[in-house]
Amino acid sequence: MDETVIRIENVVKTYPVGIEVFKALRGVSLEVKKGAFMSIVGPSGSGKTTLLNLIGGLDTPTEGSIFFYDKKLSHMTRKEMSAYRRDNIGFIFQSYNLLPVYTVYENVLFPLLVMGKREGDVRKSVEDMVARVGLAECANKRPNQLSGGQCQRVAIARALVKRPPIALADEPTANLDAENSRQILELMTELNREMKTVFILSTHDERVSKFVTREVKLEDGMISQDNLMDGLK
Amino acid sequence: MFKWNILGVLRDRTRSVFPLTVVAVGVALTVVLIGFMDGIIGGMIQSTANLDTGSLRMVNKAYYEEEHLFPMDRALAGQTESGKWLKSHSPEEVTWSARIRWGALLDIPDKEGMTLSQTPIIGTALDLLSSGSEEIHRLQLTESLVQGRLPVSPKEMLVGYQLAETLNLKLGQRATLLGQTFDGALAADNYIIVGFVKFGLTALDKKMALIDLKDAQDSFYMEDIVTDWLGWVPPGFDIEKLELIKNELTDSASDWIKTPPASWSPDDRPIFLTVLDQRGLGAIYKKFKAVRAVIIGVFIFLMILVLWNAGILNGIHRYGELGLRLAMGESHAQISFSLVTEAFAIGIIGAVIGAIVGAGCTLYLQVKGLDMGNNLAQTGLMLNDVVRARLSWRGVWGGMIPGILSGVLGSWVASLAIYKRSTSNLFRELENE
Ligand SMILES: Nc1ncnc2c1ncn2[C@@H]1O[C@H](COP(=O)(O)OP(=O)(O)OP(=O)(O)O)[C@@H](O)[C@H]1O
Ligand SMILES: [Mg+2]
Repeated sequence: MDETVIRIENVVKTYPVGIEVFKALRGVSLEVKKGAFMSIVGPSGSGKTTLLNLIGGLDTPTEGSIFFYDKKLSHMTRKEMSAYRRDNIGFIFQSYNLLPVYTVYENVLFPLLVMGKREGDVRKSVEDMVARVGLAECANKRPNQLSGGQCQRVAIARALVKRPPIALADEPTANLDAENSRQILELMTELNREMKTVFILSTHDERVSKFVTREVKLEDGMISQDNLMDGLK
Repeated sequence: MFKWNILGVLRDRTRSVFPLTVVAVGVALTVVLIGFMDGIIGGMIQSTANLDTGSLRMVNKAYYEEEHLFPMDRALAGQTESGKWLKSHSPEEVTWSARIRWGALLDIPDKEGMTLSQTPIIGTALDLLSSGSEEIHRLQLTESLVQGRLPVSPKEMLVGYQLAETLNLKLGQRATLLGQTFDGALAADNYIIVGFVKFGLTALDKKMALIDLKDAQDSFYMEDIVTDWLGWVPPGFDIEKLELIKNELTDSASDWIKTPPASWSPDDRPIFLTVLDQRGLGAIYKKFKAVRAVIIGVFIFLMILVLWNAGILNGIHRYGELGLRLAMGESHAQISFSLVTEAFAIGIIGAVIGAIVGAGCTLYLQVKGLDMGNNLAQTGLMLNDVVRARLSWRGVWGGMIPGILSGVLGSWVASLAIYKRSTSNLFRELENE
């Protein structure tokens, strides 16, 4: 049996909307095992992003608790949360969020600098990571010189260069065409197998289903289905 | 990380060129403004000192008390000895010259030598003839001459051009001065009018005559006697230090009068004044300083607002980057620190550029001056037509410090905004960009 990396227990998340509160998540429980490659699907507004933000330590649950191994996230100070994100989470965004003034190489280097690494010590691993996502040629280009698919590859390299236990991808293929989506998902699958990184994807995209080994359906802030899948053979 | 930030600053012009320009322009303008204001008041004080009061002045107490009457008999004897004493008891920067203020009747004779017209005038006797005298330069006599020439031999006289007009004086004309001698007798002596001068001050141009010091001592029987010892400091000298020199001189003089020069009368007592003690200049200076403080304060406040806003705008412009950095696990404190450090670095560089440009412009205005035409001559103050700026360290710091601080403050406020927003919200906003 694989270790549990993330354990979510009865999590409720409410947002104040005017004088009322809006329940984005209403009692979600979930365990994520080491090496998982899973997706969270559901209609718009069902709470996918909210859930990813909680796992990623960008937000805290209103009720319930989230554990990273045996560490309880809701007990952490803001500073500890920063350190948790820094050391354990790689984020991949729908709109890539690359820094436009930096080159591909520098964008991928950045998370390691945040971790306090010196460029000289990590140059090789950054270059390897850039090459691994197939962009060795483009290492010195700026994001505006790249296609959408290439940008998302940079974002994946940036998320994984520090070899985090968890990669969170919020709608990673929403801005990509079918061919690029497929390539990106394949790349993530491969990296998941190579690095044993947990991938949690949120998506509307039906096509993602064939790539994942588990699919959690959210509806109205609650889990309505939790299916094991075949994944990519 | 440091290098990474520098790269960002260099590549992102909204992070470098824009704030740098704002800081530099703000600082430069402030430096020029301060220099200009200092120049106006400084110029006014300097002209008054040069023409009339000296930066420092030693005068017999008894004379000073009835100064408006030109009481020649109260002038201070022992000119030579006093000169030596002053030289040895004042700082090196101060140069001293003796002058005699006098009042007399100017008598213009007709061809037969009978009085054609007579008018009371006031005058100053100063060293016009000895080579190397600084007085000609000090009064800018060469520049002020509207007609004729400067005196080159004894008993030649310069008169104000309006006085010359009123009395219909001609160059080369003979005029008699009727005045009072040191011992109270009537003095009468003939002078040749050789030039008309214009100081741009009605009071002087209507009533003023200038003669050589030795001539005056001869005409008024004042051998080795003068009414005034005037001391001057070099341009840019801190006017508020004059008070210190004055106090030191006053202290030293209390010893001096225990063994006074033999030629002094028993109640002779030299007193010391600064330019601000005379002609109401102290009060004007105070008011001017207050007005200057307000104007400069408003200006600096505006600059702070602009820079502050620039700092905040910069923070907003980089919202995406900041959100991302938070997601990557940089702490709020680290991000604030790097924003503020960056603003500080930009502030320093911008302020240095601004200070250099501002100081350059100020220096240009100091050397070339700004011709205000006749506008100022009518004010009755001893203002020159040409206003010169005055560069000082105070002016440079006065521009630089707010320039640096306001940018830093601005980005500090911007970084507070990051603190206030919860991480996920910052992030949502980032996603929605
Ligand atoms: N900070 C917030 N304040 C108020 N309401 C919020 C906030 N964040 C999310 N919500 C609301 O919570 C609900 C769930 O939002 P969430 O972004 O998690 O949905 P989602 O499943 O990711 O939707 P989508 O597919 O459109 O991205 C939505 O109705 C949203 O409007
Ligand atoms: Mg979403």
